[in-house]
Amino acid sequence: MNALFLAFAYLRYHWARSSVLVAVAALILFVPAATQILLSTSERALVARGDATPLLLGSRGSQLDLTMSALYFSDERPDPVPMAEVETVWDSNLGVPIPVHTAFSSSGFRIVGTTLDYFDFRGLSPVDGRGLSILGDAVIGSEVAESLGKGVGDTLVSAPENLFDLDGVYPLEMPIVGVLPQTNTPDDSAIFVDIKTAWVIQGIGHGHEDVVTAAEVASGTAAIANAAVVQYQRITPDNIDSFHFHGSQDGFPATAVIVVPNDTRSATILKGRYLDSEGPTQLIEPAGVIQGLVDRIFRIKSLLDAVTAIIAIAAFAAIGLAVFLSYRLRAREVATAVKLGARKGMVLRLLAAETVTLLSISAGIAALGAIIVSQNAEAWVGWLLSLGS
Amino acid sequence: MITVKDLKFGYAGGGFRLSVPEFKLDSRERLAIVGPSGSGKTTLLNLVAGILTPKSGDIDVDGTKVSDLSDAERRRFRATHMGFVFQDFALLDYLPARQNILYPYRITPALKLDSAARDRAQALADACGIGDKMDRHPSALSQGEQQRVAICRALVTQPKLILSDEATGNLDPDSKARILDLLFEQAAEAGAAVLAVTHDHELLPRFERVLDFAQFREGAAA
Amino acid sequence: MKRFALGMAVAVLAATTGLAQDRPQIATVNYPLQYFAEQLAGDAADVLFPVPEDVDPSFWRPTISDISTIQGADLILLNGAGFATWIDRVSLPRSRVVNTSVAIEDQFIVTKSITHSHGDGGEHSHEGLAAYTWLDPTLASAQAEAVATAIAGKGLVPVEDVAERLIALQADLAALDARTAEALADVGDVAIIATHPRYQYLARRYDLNITSLEWEAGAMPSDAELAELADEAAQTGATVLIWEDTPPDAGFDAVTDLGLRNVVFSPLATANGDADFIASFDAYVTALSDALQAQPGN
Repeated sequence: MNALFLAFAYLRYHWARSSVLVAVAALILFVPAATQILLSTSERALVARGDATPLLLGSRGSQLDLTMSALYFSDERPDPVPMAEVETVWDSNLGVPIPVHTAFSSSGFRIVGTTLDYFDFRGLSPVDGRGLSILGDAVIGSEVAESLGKGVGDTLVSAPENLFDLDGVYPLEMPIVGVLPQTNTPDDSAIFVDIKTAWVIQGIGHGHEDVVTAAEVASGTAAIANAAVVQYQRITPDNIDSFHFHGSQDGFPATAVIVVPNDTRSATILKGRYLDSEGPTQLIEPAGVIQGLVDRIFRIKSLLDAVTAIIAIAAFAAIGLAVFLSYRLRAREVATAVKLGARKGMVLRLLAAETVTLLSISAGIAALGAIIVSQNAEAWVGWLLSLGS
Repeated sequence: MITVKDLKFGYAGGGFRLSVPEFKLDSRERLAIVGPSGSGKTTLLNLVAGILTPKSGDIDVDGTKVSDLSDAERRRFRATHMGFVFQDFALLDYLPARQNILYPYRITPALKLDSAARDRAQALADACGIGDKMDRHPSALSQGEQQRVAICRALVTQPKLILSDEATGNLDPDSKARILDLLFEQAAEAGAAVLAVTHDHELLPRFERVLDFAQFREGAAA
Repeated sequence: MKRFALGMAVAVLAATTGLAQDRPQIATVNYPLQYFAEQLAGDAADVLFPVPEDVDPSFWRPTISDISTIQGADLILLNGAGFATWIDRVSLPRSRVVNTSVAIEDQFIVTKSITHSHGDGGEHSHEGLAAYTWLDPTLASAQAEAVATAIAGKGLVPVEDVAERLIALQADLAALDARTAEALADVGDVAIIATHPRYQYLARRYDLNITSLEWEAGAMPSDAELAELADEAAQTGATVLIWEDTPPDAGFDAVTDLGLRNVVFSPLATANGDADFIASFDAYVTALSDALQAQPGN
């Protein structure tokens, strides 16, 4: 205890030097631990999302882009897949297709147009408000709600984009009708709308002011619109009846289609149907794509580990040198101690006590950091994974 | 208190050799050792303290033959029976005055730090006029104050022998006398003998006895 | 003792409510689908038709709570052919939605198109589809089959039960078709005017010559509308007016004054009182047949 007392007094007196040593040692201990925690949490989150999404149908192209855009709502924009593909899956009776349309964003968060089946599939139901009901409704993830400070009753406006070179694609104001619980998945950073609402944003569906009423459309009466039709930027009870879609829904776009096969056999049959590499579409297993990505990340991580190890060796050598030098400086103290009758091995004890104290404090700080990281890992990883979107 | 007989000492590298046929220090006696540099004054202190071991001869301190003890025993004996005062004070800069005084208790299991020791430290400090500066580090103390701390440290273990190696060498003339008086005073209070090496001839009258060391140095005497 | 009885009553009530909620829910968008679903599911499911009696289901706008009820159903039966435009503006769980007219899409009747333009884009057209498919009992039969497939497919009712009931229902519809064909056999060229374009499939199936107006259902026609009717009657030689819904007596009188006979033939998008689909259809056909038969020159 006396050796520890002296060691601690020494470290405290030379607090600046001690702080630097503690900080360096703590960092060296913390960095690999934090990386490991974050990476394994990322891996779990990535793999979990992949595993939770059995099959993904999309246009032929990069499987990673398709997976990232459909599962993580990233910035990648794979070629859209026509809704006819959704109907094809329905008709096959082999699984439930859930289209996702992720081409638009609002306030930096991706607008995910989908069907109500998505919420059933992911087990999402609003903690506040209600689910999607009417064209234009938006249900937001917890992260969106928190970071924008918005909730039920507020509105969001889609970012103006002209991706598909369509005329008159005006931003759409959408009422927030529900807020989803935190799931630590990309769903937290998504603005969910009905895919029909996404088509309205895209300009495929639109309303007209007092030009065509739904009654007239339904009854088949011709009504000629004048050229200066006002395009609604907001869907209201007054104008909702005038919203309509042009063309056959079969031709409408989705970014990708999540396919939940009825069983393994159905999955096998479905996969077989999209094997043709000449076909316009592909059916992929996101888990495999994600595993490939994770493997790549971990190859990079092993490199990182090696770098960390080298730095750690260098750092500990530096710390050792610092401690050694401090003992050289303390030769006089040692001589005094000997003259005062210090026990044998007193010097070694002091050295050990000092090193142990230093490392304990460092390890304590590193452990504290690691605990904080691991407690927040899911949220941070969720945030990290959504950074790309 | 100290009885030295037929003491012979030489460093392993040769050259310097010390021979003391007889040397005595009584209990409570205040003895000054003078002599030219290199005459072996400090070597004698170290031999008495058991830091160095003689080639031959006996060193008896307070009834214990120091020269016959093992290294561990000598350390133990030194810690429990002797107090040291150095020319450079040898205080630890990272410890406040109080902990410097109690330092001997931190470095050997032979001494047990209890409340009596703490009380003693405070009482000594009070007596030395630094009772209100116990929480200061040495850098915040004057030279005189530092040496007072060192004196307190030498006395806190209640030794019967104080070994003083140029204890006043670094002090200004006014302080020298005061510190020496203080040392004597405290040693008298504790009933300890003082064996002091000094160059300060003006201080010699304050000692009961002065021993010129030139006579003991072999080669030098020859 | 009294308290115990009350407790029992509450318990029984709770149990019944519980049971009722445990039954699968089938939501429908019009009366024919409600009727088919009820016939095919029997007691195994609750069939919902959330449109109030006095609202035309074509133009019904559901409230949030209606939508929530429909979203919560185990099966949502749509008519297709553009019937009920609200479904385009409401989020429905696609996995539980079944369009009952997919198999008969090739038999849809395309109505006039609506052309308009907006923004900088050119003109574009909306194709209209005649929506009242069930007025052709053979198409109704195909829709019934789709309903049966959906109910069985969702596992709401045992397959054998549904199959058995479908045979009976399709037999009923076939018989209805035969009776209607017979009743309207000899009226081929007689021109008929309808207050609303609802009868395209009826007309095609039974070779009727029907032109349509755009009157508000069950309302007293305005003078302008009556003048339009007179013009149309003069052009086509029509002597029968099919009312979508019963108007005030003055409406009948005004039409009679124009020399036309009044027939009420609800398109059955909603139920006709307590009479079921088959009985209602029969009654309307009889009334129409009678009116046509009464024409001079026939």
